[in-house]
Amino acid sequence: MHDFASVHPCTWCDGCGDYGIWSAAKRALVELKIQPWQVLLCFDVGCHGNMSDKIEAYRFHGLHGRVIPLTAGASLANPTIPVIAFGGDGASFSEGIGHLVHAVRSNYRMTFILHNNANYGLTTGQASALTPQDQKMNSSPNGIPESTLNSMDFVFSLKPTFVARGFSGDIAQMTRILMAAIRHRGFAYVDMLQACPTYNKFATHEWLMQHCYDAATEGHDPKNFEKARALAVDTQNRVATGILYQTEDVPAFHEHLKPREGVTTTPVEEVKIVDTSKWERSFA
Amino acid sequence: MVRVAIKIVGAQGQGVNSVGEMCAKGLKRSGFCVFGYREYMSLIKGGHSSYQLDVSAEDVRSSTTRVDIVVTFNHHGLEKNLRDIKKGGILLHQTPQWKFKNPEDQAFIAEQKIRVIELPTDAILKKLKAKPILGNVLITAVVWSLLSQPEEQLRALVREQFGHKKDLLDLNFACIAEGFAACKVIAPGITLSLPKPDSKWQDQLLLTGSQAMGLGIIHAGCRVYVGYPMTPSSPILTFIADMQNETGMAVKQAEDEITAAQMMVGAMHMGTRAITATSGGGFDLMTETLSLTGITETPAVFILAQRPGPGTALPTWTAQGDLTLAVGAGHGEYTRLVMAASDTQDSFDLLPEAFNFAEEFQIPVIVLTDKHLGEALFTQPAFDQTIAKLKRGRLVTDLRELAQLKPADRYDPAAGDGVSKRWLPGSEAATFCAQGDEHGPDGSVTEDAENARQQMEKRLKKMAALKAALPEPLYVGPKNPETLIVSWGSNRGVIFDVLESAEMKKKNIGYLHYQYLWPLKTESFEMLSRTAKRTVFIECNHGGQLASLLKLACGRDVTQKILKFDGRPFFFEELREKLLSALTPNPSLDRRGA
Repeated sequence: MHDFASVHPCTWCDGCGDYGIWSAAKRALVELKIQPWQVLLCFDVGCHGNMSDKIEAYRFHGLHGRVIPLTAGASLANPTIPVIAFGGDGASFSEGIGHLVHAVRSNYRMTFILHNNANYGLTTGQASALTPQDQKMNSSPNGIPESTLNSMDFVFSLKPTFVARGFSGDIAQMTRILMAAIRHRGFAYVDMLQACPTYNKFATHEWLMQHCYDAATEGHDPKNFEKARALAVDTQNRVATGILYQTEDVPAFHEHLKPREGVTTTPVEEVKIVDTSKWERSFA
Repeated sequence: MVRVAIKIVGAQGQGVNSVGEMCAKGLKRSGFCVFGYREYMSLIKGGHSSYQLDVSAEDVRSSTTRVDIVVTFNHHGLEKNLRDIKKGGILLHQTPQWKFKNPEDQAFIAEQKIRVIELPTDAILKKLKAKPILGNVLITAVVWSLLSQPEEQLRALVREQFGHKKDLLDLNFACIAEGFAACKVIAPGITLSLPKPDSKWQDQLLLTGSQAMGLGIIHAGCRVYVGYPMTPSSPILTFIADMQNETGMAVKQAEDEITAAQMMVGAMHMGTRAITATSGGGFDLMTETLSLTGITETPAVFILAQRPGPGTALPTWTAQGDLTLAVGAGHGEYTRLVMAASDTQDSFDLLPEAFNFAEEFQIPVIVLTDKHLGEALFTQPAFDQTIAKLKRGRLVTDLRELAQLKPADRYDPAAGDGVSKRWLPGSEAATFCAQGDEHGPDGSVTEDAENARQQMEKRLKKMAALKAALPEPLYVGPKNPETLIVSWGSNRGVIFDVLESAEMKKKNIGYLHYQYLWPLKTESFEMLSRTAKRTVFIECNHGGQLASLLKLACGRDVTQKILKFDGRPFFFEELREKLLSALTPNPSLDRRGA
């Protein structure tokens, strides 16, 4: 853990779920024996993005809503380096939702951690697409008029190859999830339900404690897509956590590329001036 | 210089392009320089499109407005393109029993002595039991006969294309024979004479600016291409995608331009060479990412293929209206490089340079092209493979050097030219954060005032070093020209053709051509324009964007402007006339452009 420790103190609110996710991310990397120089962590803009200098490792702190394609590009250039994208529910389900859709479809080799606190924390508590309808928030004093997006139903509709849900109060489980996600062949979608003590008064740490349960303890089989989807979507009385669905049968995006078949180098290693004369003959 | 122009017109999808390309290849192999220019509309079938070939035994890099022969696939071409024909020219059509009803058309044909020839295409194809598509070969054979070109050469071209399908090949050969025979009947004694050929053209390449740029991208060692279709950048995406099984490149058609830009930046950060190409509207979407690379100091290369704006405007036409966009796009202040290709040579040569500058200065580079350059067909010598060198600047890869790195080396503000060390994820070294927030030397976030000032200065210090590294604009002409022409981009071809014309050859004119447009070099411009009697800017935009940038940079505003902004490039006679009148001492005219 020491290798990943930063000299900078954390700046999150007391009781923020980011502390738990931050700890689990470091623990998962340590458990997987990944050194800080062997991984790229990419951050969106939001409270979670303030992690970018609270952890060691190669990091990229980019634009709001765009962490998924940034990370996907890095992964495409060098699929041998694990890449992890961190993004919030504001960035991932409003501004950058198109990227999420196509990243699941493309099955890039990357982990995506959704810091899901159901609001825009860093801009002081506006509603996100995952905030319950009618919930009063900053800039929606009468409650938000839009219906709530069911994120799990949405993600499952895209035929994902890895879906997990964690809760920021259970570091041990989040660690196990992240270890599996980082090892996953393609796009690993990890929804971390996160307490936001300052702005989220509806799904608090205590509420999550009471409602979350580990689906594995009840014999859930993560190979069963339909059951996983039903379990993930139904959060009426209880919230199932753990690895809800995973298949390793679908090749990752870069494995699907015909010209890359059998190539043992990565695009990073292939940069050199290329003689194009043999391709010019067709123009003569 | 003797030049002959052939214009093929018809509805999109009728075969205008295939006939144009076949004629171009054949003529080049016969020893002619060919310049091909396409006009088409933003639709797939129908509309009215054209493919014009300007042919000469000397260098030809532009199109004329009036042509020697119009070949039309349908009756629309008879009416729409009649007035494109020069005096004594030929109109070859395929509309049975066509009569010009309009008395003005009849008068034009009589006065201009236009020879109207009808090819009974349908009847011939029926006789041969051939599909309508073979009409392309048939009419090409008629053109070939009119040009007195050997039949065997056309057969060789067809053999290259259909050699593997015997039945089809035989039918093509039959069409060629019929075409030659028909020409004797429908156009007895009519020929279109070409100048004496020059064998130097025979083995040269015939390719578009987009194809040359695609080859330049491959040549530069680019291994990842991420794009989103948008005319006129799409042919680059198509070319790179079609080549992927040969080159082994990773090619991704992204869900939008923001994704394309972000993936390119992610791939560049990881350490490969990656690129994206788009047009104005798509580039607008990429500009936040452009700005991000300004602060993270990530090398990035964007191709901006210009077409007219604003909005969707004229999607399949040309413009040079995005120079100030490229120079000013993205919020905040940071160092960038803007360059513009002008022909196939540039399109190939500038791409390795774009990547080298991006990596040496850790900046975004914008390569401008336009529809005219991207889709015009150029005759081009085989590209020299020995000029480009791989330059990656302060990229640290040596293991011992990596071991000594500190996180604070990444954005070290002490770097004299502002360019600090860069190393790649996966390198066994101290780690850093590529930070989009204002940051200290190791990429940690800080809002400290003194640090902010230092980092801003570090990033902008690169501008001076970059400017010093850039070559002066290209100058052709006498030491102290009476008239100085200043231009950039795809205008170069037509400007050269005009300057070499009989009317201009003896005049005291110099031509300063800008390949590198930002940061802007002003030394040559100031020196030449100070002594010149007049300075004339030639640009395909409304504002004279390069003229404005130079005015900002050095305050000189004693200029005339020849501007065009109707989606068309400058045509040969058009520019010659405009330039001639610009050279005529006329005070009212001189003030017009200022």
